Amino acid sequence: MLNNLLVLLQTGGTHRVADLARELDTTPEMVEAMLESLERMGKLQPVERTCGGACGTCSLAGLCAAGNNNRVWTLVE
Amino acid sequence: MTTPPLSSANVGADSQSITAAPPVLVALAGQPNVGKTTVFNLLTGMNQHVGNWPGKTVERKEGTFTHHDTVYRLVDLPGTYSLTANSAEEVVAREFIIREQPDVVVAVVDAATLERSLYLVAELLPLPAPVIVALNMIDVAKQEGVSIEPDVLAAALGVPVVPMVATRNIGIRTMLDTIEYLVGGDAVYTPKIPQIRADHQEVLEAIEKIIDHCVPDPYPQEWVALKLLEGDEEVTKMMRACLNAPQWDAVYDILRAHDDALVAVASGRYEWIGRMIRAAVTRPRAGQIGLTERIDRWAAHPFWGLLILAGILGLTFWLTYAIGTPFQEALDAYVVSGLARLATAALSGAPLWLQGLVVDGAIGGVGAVLTFLPILVIFFAVMGVLEDMGYMARAAYVMDGFMHVMGLHGKSFLPLFIGFGCNVPAVLGTRVIESRRARLLTILLTPLIPCTARLAVLAFLAPAFFGRAAMVVSWGLILLALAVLALSGALINKVFFRGDRAAFIMELPLYHVPNWRTIGLLVWQRSISFVKKAGTLILVVSIIIWVLSTLPGGDIESSYLAAIGQFLEPVGRLAGLDWRLIVALLTSFIAKENTIASLGVIFGAGTGSGLLETLAETFSPATGLSFLVVQMLFVPCVATVAVIKQETDSWRWTLFNLGFLLLISWSAGVAVYWLARLFGL
Repeated sequence: MLNNLLVLLQTGGTHRVADLARELDTTPEMVEAMLESLERMGKLQPVERTCGGACGTCSLAGLCAAGNNNRVWTLVE
Repeated sequence: MTTPPLSSANVGADSQSITAAPPVLVALAGQPNVGKTTVFNLLTGMNQHVGNWPGKTVERKEGTFTHHDTVYRLVDLPGTYSLTANSAEEVVAREFIIREQPDVVVAVVDAATLERSLYLVAELLPLPAPVIVALNMIDVAKQEGVSIEPDVLAAALGVPVVPMVATRNIGIRTMLDTIEYLVGGDAVYTPKIPQIRADHQEVLEAIEKIIDHCVPDPYPQEWVALKLLEGDEEVTKMMRACLNAPQWDAVYDILRAHDDALVAVASGRYEWIGRMIRAAVTRPRAGQIGLTERIDRWAAHPFWGLLILAGILGLTFWLTYAIGTPFQEALDAYVVSGLARLATAALSGAPLWLQGLVVDGAIGGVGAVLTFLPILVIFFAVMGVLEDMGYMARAAYVMDGFMHVMGLHGKSFLPLFIGFGCNVPAVLGTRVIESRRARLLTILLTPLIPCTARLAVLAFLAPAFFGRAAMVVSWGLILLALAVLALSGALINKVFFRGDRAAFIMELPLYHVPNWRTIGLLVWQRSISFVKKAGTLILVVSIIIWVLSTLPGGDIESSYLAAIGQFLEPVGRLAGLDWRLIVALLTSFIAKENTIASLGVIFGAGTGSGLLETLAETFSPATGLSFLVVQMLFVPCVATVAVIKQETDSWRWTLFNLGFLLLISWSAGVAVYWLARLFGL
């Protein structure tokens, strides 16, 4: 199942977890677990979207936090 | 195998003889945050001690407890996701099980995320110790609509399964009875161990054949062969020392020919997990999940999704101008001007410089920025609603699809898209780009993306220059930003990525009905944070601007500030900008909202009319449009510049970037100004 997931990802493009689950005939929870495994194996890299404290002085720092609560990975080439 | 009844009658008549025996060794294994520590504390209470594992900085927790007169020694293994030598914790956990061979390993799993938790169980089963699965947080799983049949799961796994809620002491006693039953020797333990993916079975057997009789005790031979295929560093090192040269060469040749074996081993485990889940777990597809799928058919659709996003953006600006701007004008007219009048009256006997400092400097600058608050509250509220209901992640998804159509590479798009929130994480986000040149170019283009602070300044100033047409102008400027994003990204794609398609995976949260209390709290916290910062950094900048606008003679037209602005005015004039607008742009380098503070100081709070009114009377729409375009493309704030320096590790590139942005913004300003003049604006 994990290799089928990798094959799907290697076709490129942006995938939603729900779509991957549908294509692999499994649950989104299963796909998430596999994505985490692939991340630990070094095949996927999480995309960080935090400012690492550099925005501390910005008075509008609250605005940029919106929409960053979902996880995004990219395939390591 | 099923769990024994709770009754103590089945424990055995010779409990006295058991008491004299050495303590039963039980290991607690589990992934982080599954409630393992709660179970450990519940069982051992005060009878526990904490130290370090020999030679490691990993914490070792051990304790004792008694159940039915039998003494148990409980060892809390470090929380790990798997048992491959990725970390010291994983090595400690597996070495303990292999070397100490505990009487029982209790694998604590999170019932709500069984797919994730079972991976560790898949790794524990081949080890030489019987396993009990403690199905913790069964209440949370139930709340989330996940239905698990423990008996079916136990039959599928071939090991006892105990449902429990450790935080409420539910199921702990059954778990102890199950340990007792398993240790008693009467239980039949036949775990269904996961197998390597079928196409690698022969490879595994070939390695087993070579290492046969060479694996040091007490390591299980098949486990060692699997770990060799997984590329486990510790096991590879161990076997390299144990095998003779021809044997190692034979193993090495196999490993080299099957460098994908790691995926084959993990794939076998996931196929096994899939079987367990299908057998024992039911997740409802209706309700929230069904709703999410229905909404996403539109919201995440490549075309309709874009229209919905455009509509939401339009609605945000409409709300800003329909509700925020009237509030802003009222605040300006009544509160700021009123405060200025009060301060002027109160300081009537004070020196002129003090009056100027308080009225024009502090009230003019900070007051102008505070009138910004109604617009920000709307921004905060809209963002809060979209964030809380789970929409924001979709915005990136549909934009990503659109940008792919435009030929933009995903690895550049994502950082650039993040830039709409804030340029700082966008610059940091370019770390996903492997090619240094492509990464550098993406970093240099990131400041062209208008962050929310720039958009908020745009929302504040557009009504001054364009009145009812402000919404159309704002839309146009955002389209301009998108065009810049698409063009620059397409350029990067063509030059550096040569059309490769990067793979991204996005986790999109389920939609929720917004929680108004959460959103209210969010808006409140962000607004307070803004007001606090307006009262500190912006106050300081306002006072500096005022001092520079007053010295040396008290007349703004002959002040140091005017001198700075007038020095640059010949260049600015080409874009229709006078020295006052140039100075306002320059101060945005500290923070974007300083543009408004500077305009507030320069045009004075004590003039009687509001800032927007004064701006509308002073500047033509052509100048206004040019100013907004330059502001959108101007050099970013100092925090972004610092991160650009950090990430490029080069002053040369950082300064080049600033020069490039000055040139781009000025050129766009000139072009827009003269075009607008041509159209009679």
